[in-house]
Amino acid sequence: MKQVLKKLVESQVWHSIFRHGLPESNRTRAETIFYNFFLHIHPTKVRKRSVKFTYTWGLGGLSFGLFIVLTVTGALLMLYYRPSVPQAYWDMKDLEFVVSSGQFLRNMHRWAAHAMVAVVFLHMLRVFYTGSYRPPKEFNWVIGVLLLVLTILLSYTGYLLPWDQLAFWGISVGTNMVRAIPFGLGEKISFLLLGGNSVGENALVRFYVLHCFILPVAGTILMGIHFWRVRKDGGV
Amino acid sequence: MKKHMGKLRIYFAASSIVFLVVLAISPLKDFFREWKLNQYEYNNLIKELPQRVRPVEVGIKQLWIQKLDRIDRCVTCHLGLKEPALKQVRQPFRTHPLIDHDVEEFGCTVCHEGQGPATTYKESVGKVKYWDQPIFPTKFMEASCAKCHKERVVPHAPTLTLGRKLIEEANCVACHNIEGFQKQWTPSLDGIGSKVNRTWLVNWLKNPKAYFAKTRMPNFLLSDEEANILADFLMTFKTFPNEATLDGLPMVLTSRSEAQREKLVELGSTRFREARCISCHPINGKGGYVATDLGTVASKASVRWLYNYIKTPKRFQPGVEMPRYRFSETELAGIVAYIQSEFVDYEMERAESEVAHKPDPAYYEKGLALFKKYNCSGCHELAGMKKAEEMGPDLTFIGSKKLYEIDFGKSGIEQTIPSYLLTKVKDPRVFSASMKMPSYEFTDEEAQAITVALLGNTGERIPEELKVYPKPRSTYSPQGEFGKLVDDLACFGCHTVFGRGRLIATDLSLEASQAQRKWIEGYFKVPYSLRPILTERMPNLFLSDAEIRVLVEYMEKVFLADSLEREIRADQDRIAKGKILYYEKYGCQACHQINLKGGYVGPALDKVGSRLKPGWVFHWLKNPQAFKPESIEPNNKLTNDEAEALTAFLMSLK
Repeated sequence: MKQVLKKLVESQVWHSIFRHGLPESNRTRAETIFYNFFLHIHPTKVRKRSVKFTYTWGLGGLSFGLFIVLTVTGALLMLYYRPSVPQAYWDMKDLEFVVSSGQFLRNMHRWAAHAMVAVVFLHMLRVFYTGSYRPPKEFNWVIGVLLLVLTILLSYTGYLLPWDQLAFWGISVGTNMVRAIPFGLGEKISFLLLGGNSVGENALVRFYVLHCFILPVAGTILMGIHFWRVRKDGGV
Repeated sequence: MKKHMGKLRIYFAASSIVFLVVLAISPLKDFFREWKLNQYEYNNLIKELPQRVRPVEVGIKQLWIQKLDRIDRCVTCHLGLKEPALKQVRQPFRTHPLIDHDVEEFGCTVCHEGQGPATTYKESVGKVKYWDQPIFPTKFMEASCAKCHKERVVPHAPTLTLGRKLIEEANCVACHNIEGFQKQWTPSLDGIGSKVNRTWLVNWLKNPKAYFAKTRMPNFLLSDEEANILADFLMTFKTFPNEATLDGLPMVLTSRSEAQREKLVELGSTRFREARCISCHPINGKGGYVATDLGTVASKASVRWLYNYIKTPKRFQPGVEMPRYRFSETELAGIVAYIQSEFVDYEMERAESEVAHKPDPAYYEKGLALFKKYNCSGCHELAGMKKAEEMGPDLTFIGSKKLYEIDFGKSGIEQTIPSYLLTKVKDPRVFSASMKMPSYEFTDEEAQAITVALLGNTGERIPEELKVYPKPRSTYSPQGEFGKLVDDLACFGCHTVFGRGRLIATDLSLEASQAQRKWIEGYFKVPYSLRPILTERMPNLFLSDAEIRVLVEYMEKVFLADSLEREIRADQDRIAKGKILYYEKYGCQACHQINLKGGYVGPALDKVGSRLKPGWVFHWLKNPQAFKPESIEPNNKLTNDEAEALTAFLMSLK
């Protein structure tokens, strides 16, 4: 057994993936972090104080976890859902009545979405109360705020997709609020969002694309920067 | 530190197990879905049946009805719909009752409603939040036929057919908009002041059914005061339509000699019977129900009006379907004298003499207001007044009315459209006393039928090619001498010809192919009933020979079909063979009489040889239902030879 393991570790395939030895010395430990795609974001050293659970409550990590859950369930839901007026509602009904575990997928997506809004908000409060927005972390605070906005927008754009009465009127009210923006901007932004003057087929497609592509991609990029900065400033 | 790590590991292991269990819930729920259990049960059930039934392959089944834009998954659990062996098993596996529509072509929810795409019992029945078309109650099921079937008589839907008939008869369209119905003829009120007795009118307005149990006039539930004011108002209208005036009474009727009078009454009584007035008019509830009750008509209408009306009905009531009898002056006087002596309401006349009536000073304005309030001109003509526009609610789409549009008042009934309509039809003012709809006193069965017919008026979009419309109204309208006679004698009031008219009596479209000319002529002179049990019998119209000739000559040219002509050779052999067939092979005497021997289900056949034409008898015997679909005479599938022999025998009975 030991011999097989030794052979494997010394093989060319192993070396091509892990270029360094096992993390047994300070050097190899540092190399493990540097050369690993998933670990490279870690700071090489972390302060003991910030590892304490009650300091961060793991809220950032939870938000990211929920984002992963939402991405996975969302991608699966996309397999069954067609963003068109005649089909959207019935596809949702089909998820409930026909697709195996379809209702579970939908419920998970929905509850994770609710939870993410709550968790992201709590995360912001925690950062505020621990004063973690202070120099040199001002830039990351701004990115965090942008991420909060993206989370809320994701939640809002997802609201239209079931294409039921609640969705229709929810979006009608929301976009009418946008119209209240002065200097004629409101009308234009509302038109841009809906692809028209009222909630219809165009609005459904726009919200779908926003919800499934533009907003998550923007979020992912911002999250990359956010995490990078957190780590480089010695956070967990 | 080590101790701490150990604790963490336990936490980790425990939470992993919890997660695993939580994750297992969803696939387990999926595995034990309601419809799967049903399908397993179905497969077990059919194994126990003596017949071989194909087991179901487990999986969701659905019907996609593209033209109706519906997806119905009901068949996932309703597995035995087309399986005759499953008539007795429990639902959801039972066979569907036989209907003319294939489930694969129409699906389920187009008739039953409910939530088609659902796969659980509760959701598919649709009595859930956010589903506004729950499954339709069986009691009102035929309403769904009405979505496509717009014709008046819908096959296999007796309740719907009855409902539509009632809607037509009750003249609902006088106040409501309902697609496919036309306003029915109702008597004009012009001249009512010269016709009726005021006390009678008050009683009539208060409760029309007390006078004539089958009247179409509903009860407007008027107060004493309202009825009196309305009566006073109506009594002011003394001029008849088209400015017709009442002729004076003849001398014979006004003479006071007792003996003369008695003779006159006797003559009238004979003519009254011969004219078969009771074929259409009941007397105190007995007789036909086509026209009003004559039981106490002498206390209702004035003598002068009675005399003039019987003389020329259409002059005083245009459009009425009463024939103008060819009575002589004396005969007319006799009939009126007879009516005067027999059909009196003594009670009313006594009560009338006791009460002195003082009209309200503003009776005309108040009466007019009442007349308008209750939309009397919706049905009745009066001084050219127009019917109120949009009197009652539009019922074109009543079946898809939303619940929030309906005021249930304090009725406390189940809050559904069917129960609302049923209650409303039965008791129109139950939801609010200020409502104006009159009471029709429908029976439970009738109210249900009307509800069914109304519920079928939905706004649902149905492809045009699926709809069945009524046949266009017949445009048959005879002209010339014959046409004038037909109008004068109101033949269409009872007979149908080429799709026009009522079917109280026979359809005459093929009469000249059926009956011999001599017999028809004789029948006009002395009509008799072929089936004595019928109430509505042909009246004696006392036509002149010249008039009969006009009628018969026209009928001989028009009311026939050449294909029914057939010469039947009648020799003794054939007649003898036919006789054997009649008495022995087919046992016709079970229903028909010859020389007073035999049953009385069908008409007696003595002298049938002088009545019918051989070609008709032959074709009738071959297939009775071809001429009269409702005939109960069996189709014995006679060979041509047999039918000819039987015809020869029957034609020998002269």
